[in-house]
Amino acid sequence: MYLAAQGDTWGIPGPAFLVLYLTVTIAVMILAAIHRRILFAGDRRVAVDRLGPQQIAYLTGGEHLAVYAALGGLRAAGAIAGGTGKTLYQSGPLPAGVTPLDNAIYNAAGRQIRARELTGDQWVVAAVRQLREGLEAQGLAVTPARLKAARMWAVAGAALVLLGVGRLVDGVQNDKPVGFLVVALAVAAFATIRLLTRKRRATHAADKGLRAVRTQYAYLAPSQAPSYATYGATGAAMGVALYGTAALYTMDPAFAAGAGIQRIQAAGTPSGGDSGSTSYSCSSGSSCSSGSSCGGGGGCGGGGCGG
Amino acid sequence: MTAYGVGIGWRPEIAGFVAQLPGLRFAEVVAESVHAHGDLPVGLAELRERGVAVVPHGVKLSLGGAEPVEPARVTHLAAVAERLGAPLVSEHIAYVRAGGVEAGHLLPVPRSREAVDAIVANVRRTRAELSVPIALEPIAALFDWPDDELDEGAFLTEILERTDALLLLDVANVYANARNRGTDPLALLDSVPLERVAYVHVAGGAEHDGIYHDTHTDAVPQPVLDLITELCARRRPPALMLERDGDYPAAAELRGELDAIAAASGYPAVT
Repeated sequence: MYLAAQGDTWGIPGPAFLVLYLTVTIAVMILAAIHRRILFAGDRRVAVDRLGPQQIAYLTGGEHLAVYAALGGLRAAGAIAGGTGKTLYQSGPLPAGVTPLDNAIYNAAGRQIRARELTGDQWVVAAVRQLREGLEAQGLAVTPARLKAARMWAVAGAALVLLGVGRLVDGVQNDKPVGFLVVALAVAAFATIRLLTRKRRATHAADKGLRAVRTQYAYLAPSQAPSYATYGATGAAMGVALYGTAALYTMDPAFAAGAGIQRIQAAGTPSGGDSGSTSYSCSSGSSCSSGSSCGGGGGCGGGGCGG
Repeated sequence: MTAYGVGIGWRPEIAGFVAQLPGLRFAEVVAESVHAHGDLPVGLAELRERGVAVVPHGVKLSLGGAEPVEPARVTHLAAVAERLGAPLVSEHIAYVRAGGVEAGHLLPVPRSREAVDAIVANVRRTRAELSVPIALEPIAALFDWPDDELDEGAFLTEILERTDALLLLDVANVYANARNRGTDPLALLDSVPLERVAYVHVAGGAEHDGIYHDTHTDAVPQPVLDLITELCARRRPPALMLERDGDYPAAAELRGELDAIAAASGYPAVT
């Protein structure tokens, strides 16, 4: 019946339109992926293993994890403790050689801030912004401008969706079968939503460096029950940066639970079957698909895991 | 036997600390924590690549049991030794199960002629499967069995001579046993064949209610370090290692303990 050319919607037979429509949709997806690859390449010359735990934490788990990495370090150094009502207080002097973020958190603890409100504290926010901008300048974190550029492809996707909707409306009015068109439209709509909402924090260069860092610090994995007393404040902060806030719960369960520390996973670590916290940071699409297949660190030595 | 100097008991909790000891040449790992054929624990493969000798230390063979050692456990110990390229293995002169019941920890064997025969038979069964020597470690005991026929020195000497095994001497429990019984630890050093010592365990302990416990979770006390000096004056063993099993202190403190063992034995510092 499709071959009967009389009365084709817009003068184009259904099958021909479908083929063309899906071809253009796939082409948009491929071009967008290539463009993302270029936009998010980053700078491979930067030594990721020289970064501090808070910077690593931003790259693996975002702003909140950077704050919790600093919190882990300050807790291990004995500078802060948990009070009543999930608040923090200063329990010792600020150690030497701290970062601006450490300083901001320590000062907030001086005001007995609640742990969960840390990420909204203006001084903490400013320190995290400074940390993020430093990483962006080094080509390790994706800048908002580049993320926006990548999302512009959603405009092409939206145009395809509108085209499909127009055809659908006219097709229905013409009493034409539209089943396959609805499926194609759903594909285009799904692709457009992906193009619009996919996030990315670490550049490809940073992801590659992070894999090496994760191998270097494999002894900090919660499964090793690492002795944070031995590894010190930096070890504690790095544990949180690479293994998420689960490391804080291993290190000092009373403090972590008492302060109501959010469960945040670090990208690239195998999910521990922890209920309710699955892939928090794994919405970042391609960074995660490469991360999870490279999970345990063991199988990825030879560089065969993309990148 | 090669002189390795000061070593440490490798534990997953402090693997990152052990990995960063620049002069380390000797470490011990609990044999039951290593898969005979699977991946090595994180960090252990790197130690082997650096040329650090890693000795599997069995804790569940139950050499001191009246019944024969379980063949599967012996096979595992032998396979782990091969896997690690270990120069030797070690086990305890103790029993951990009897009549199929697991005690969950190391229990002392009565020092009778009958027990010696049973242990000798078990050590021979074990050695038949091993391609490397075995060192036997007497354990700390808070009490002596009433029907002991031999003293500690004679008991050990006879087992070692009849099995041609090496001795893993734990100076911390030599100290603990002597202190809790009011005897002289040096007398024990003089009563065992020191030329058979493969390596030495050094651990910390604490006193509770007048009894000294070999806890492995406290600092090494000065009298134990003095005992190392006395031992080394008689005959310096090829290796001495810090055995810490929990409540791990700050890295600086652990390094201090390793340095103290080096100073007491005259071996170079590994930190």
